[in-house]
Amino acid sequence: MTAPPARRRVTAPLLPMILALVAAAVLLAAAGCGAGSDSGDRGRLDVVAAESFLADIAQNVAGDRFTVRTLIPPGADPHAFEPAPKDLGEVAAADLVIVNGGGLEGPLLDTLTNVGGSATIVDASAGLKTRTPQPGEPPLGAGQIDPHFWLDPVAVQTYVANIRDAFVKADPSGAAAYAVNAAAYSAKLKQLDAWIKAQVAQIPAQDRTLVMNHASHGYFADRYGFQIVGTVLPGVGTADTPTARQLGDLTQAIRRSGAKAIFVEIDENPQLAEQIAAETGVRVVTDLLDHSLTAAGGVAPTYIAMMKYDTQRIVEAFR
Amino acid sequence: MIHWLTEPFTLQFMQRALAASLIVGVVCSVLGCFVVLRAMAFLGDALAHAVLPGVAIAYLLGANILAGALVAALVVAAGIGLFSRRGAVKEDTAIGILFAAALALGVVLISTVRSYATDLTHILFGNVLGVSPGDLWLTGALAVGVLATILLLYKELLLASFDPVLAHTLGRRPELLRFVMLVLLALTVVVSLQTVGVGLVAAMLVTPAATAYLLTRRLSSMMALAAVIGAASSVTGLYVSYYLNVASGAAVVLTATAAFLVAFVAAPGRGVLARRAAMRRAA
Amino acid sequence: MSTDDCLSLENVTVAYRGRTALDAVTMAVPHGGQVAIVGPNGAGKSTLFKALVGLLPLRAGRIELRDRAPGTQAQPIAYVPQREEVDWTFPVTVSDVVMMGRYGRLGWLRRPRAADRELVADCLDELGMADFAGRPVGDLSGGQQQRVFLARALAQEPHVLLLDEPFSGVDVGAKEALLDILERLRRRGITVLVSTHDLQTASQRFELVALLNGRLIAYGPPPEVFTAEHIGTAFGGHALFLEGMMVIDECGTGEVAGGQHRRDHERDVGDA
Repeated sequence: MTAPPARRRVTAPLLPMILALVAAAVLLAAAGCGAGSDSGDRGRLDVVAAESFLADIAQNVAGDRFTVRTLIPPGADPHAFEPAPKDLGEVAAADLVIVNGGGLEGPLLDTLTNVGGSATIVDASAGLKTRTPQPGEPPLGAGQIDPHFWLDPVAVQTYVANIRDAFVKADPSGAAAYAVNAAAYSAKLKQLDAWIKAQVAQIPAQDRTLVMNHASHGYFADRYGFQIVGTVLPGVGTADTPTARQLGDLTQAIRRSGAKAIFVEIDENPQLAEQIAAETGVRVVTDLLDHSLTAAGGVAPTYIAMMKYDTQRIVEAFR
Repeated sequence: MIHWLTEPFTLQFMQRALAASLIVGVVCSVLGCFVVLRAMAFLGDALAHAVLPGVAIAYLLGANILAGALVAALVVAAGIGLFSRRGAVKEDTAIGILFAAALALGVVLISTVRSYATDLTHILFGNVLGVSPGDLWLTGALAVGVLATILLLYKELLLASFDPVLAHTLGRRPELLRFVMLVLLALTVVVSLQTVGVGLVAAMLVTPAATAYLLTRRLSSMMALAAVIGAASSVTGLYVSYYLNVASGAAVVLTATAAFLVAFVAAPGRGVLARRAAMRRAA
Repeated sequence: MSTDDCLSLENVTVAYRGRTALDAVTMAVPHGGQVAIVGPNGAGKSTLFKALVGLLPLRAGRIELRDRAPGTQAQPIAYVPQREEVDWTFPVTVSDVVMMGRYGRLGWLRRPRAADRELVADCLDELGMADFAGRPVGDLSGGQQQRVFLARALAQEPHVLLLDEPFSGVDVGAKEALLDILERLRRRGITVLVSTHDLQTASQRFELVALLNGRLIAYGPPPEVFTAEHIGTAFGGHALFLEGMMVIDECGTGEVAGGQHRRDHERDVGDA
């Protein structure tokens, strides 16, 4: 019966060892939080934008003073993005973090706010007037607003102004450059607006009905005279699933309105849309791009290119 | 009255939803009799979640997603058998460990494919309202295969479940039969997942069989009754979801559960009321 | 081994959980013979049966089974463990259970036929359980369940029947009924091996006795086996010799260890 005393002697030094390991881990974590990445070669400011289209817009304001980085990679859904630790490290090291706001980032916004470091959060859509859903569109949840402002180029001019102001505040020495860049880009946005109006004019007014996968195109519809007949997912986010009745109502709405197509974005699951389309005999367009840009060589490497591509796909569906 | 019955099913996607949940309901309920009697309920649920890494790997390799899911389910099932062999770890514990590990592995793999994360989980956890005709054929073929296997091997599966010692002495290889059952379970789970989602599959594997158990004393009638209850729950659940405007899969699960509760209370001989009456008579 | 031997064991050695449970057992049982297997707890009685029926592998030695009409039997040995490790809440009736005995002959894909159902009814009748045919097996008392499992063993139409401690916890009436059945089996030429702690019954009602304790200590007619020397060797300190009387103590720590040993056996080998 000599085993028990021997065991006790072995476990005793183990406990302090475990405590030491835990303490070391805590210290490492704290050190890691404080360490910043070198921003030497990034120019005057270290800026991260949440979405890729935001990054492009911000880059146009920044000009060649610095490079804006993107948090959410192309193709990922900003409504449901989960950052990895390295991403958060970059965010913590930044001077400015530009988000779309309006609830688009969901719980990600809390994560970004809590990440510590010295970053200031810039809400690109601050000051914009929100819309209420029209009849036929899914209702908003309590306290929810439609965050898809960026699909209206006129609203993006407010984004540009907000971003310019944030840049100037953070880097006053560049105030003149930012102002010039912002004005130039706003002019391009006005041209984009005119271009889209011309494209949409090809569709007779009474035919301008849209069926989207989720309620993403509200502001676009308001600006260019479309009516949103219904959506497959019943909300402004991508997490809600429809009930049988909702899908039945959508089917009836499509038949009544004579809509020609259901529009699904490229990284969304088209399964439900395809069943409704088969039911009603309409097309499914599955390659819209409106929540993110493509990579540099793709069809939509900039915000303006993305909007043009999107518009073309929509207009084509009506031919 | 007739209009009230037929209205939901004038829509084709509702017709397919009905067919899919009927098929899945019947197959899961019949196989579920073995799941319930052999205490494999946790295993069924674990397999449903454990396919995630298989789907991710298949996607990364450009291989067939269903095949990847099936391989993952079988690997996890084999792993559970391995860990719990010879009583080193209880089977319950082995399932808990592998379930969590597989799920976590799947999440890690999917997070390396950042762009299409949500797409993969949608592939996996289907929606009964989005069943395509192709899905329906696949589900139907699977159902025929599983039910035929159970029918052909009925007495062997019965023997291996009831008395593995005798099965062994008669040369009926209970280990092999348990593996067959795991394969059937993995197949059923994987194909049903795509159609009706994980919540519905796990429930249909357990609840109708558990209800049938309370109402009959023989395995053959238990299976038949479970199939009927599974089918009836599917149909009723779909109607309820349409008229009350709620999620379809969840409505089916709650209908099956309601049936169970009724049986639990009122079953002749084994329900709560019957037991109380018997105790009073004995006193 | 003479041609009259049904079952012969040659140098059979079986390991169980790392230790040798049976060492070099050599014995031959004639057709229709009735052998009582006795010995203290942990002697290897259950191990012997499990080795005979193929549930445990042999580390050495050979077991040979010869029936009168060679090649007629698929599974000629039927084994009735002392406590069945079955799920008593399983939805099966008594006749379902007895029918399971027929599965060995039926093959993988065939269904039971009328002849099988008749045989099942006969076996139930023989055990006096015909009235219980449609009852769920979990509803029966312990003694009734034992008879059902014996009926199942008979339904296998075995040439050799192994009964593991069938007299334990059974009253005199039931014991006599059981011995009656064994007598009828003997007349039908079925060889029976019965393990028991009941040394009285073993010496009075069996023509052959095998005394085990890890090895075969003695084998033959009861008077040859039940000598003071053999008993002393087998039971060691548990046997006390007084004037003209021998006392053997089966209770106490030995019993507990033996019971646990038995339960371990059933659980391990019964795993599927």
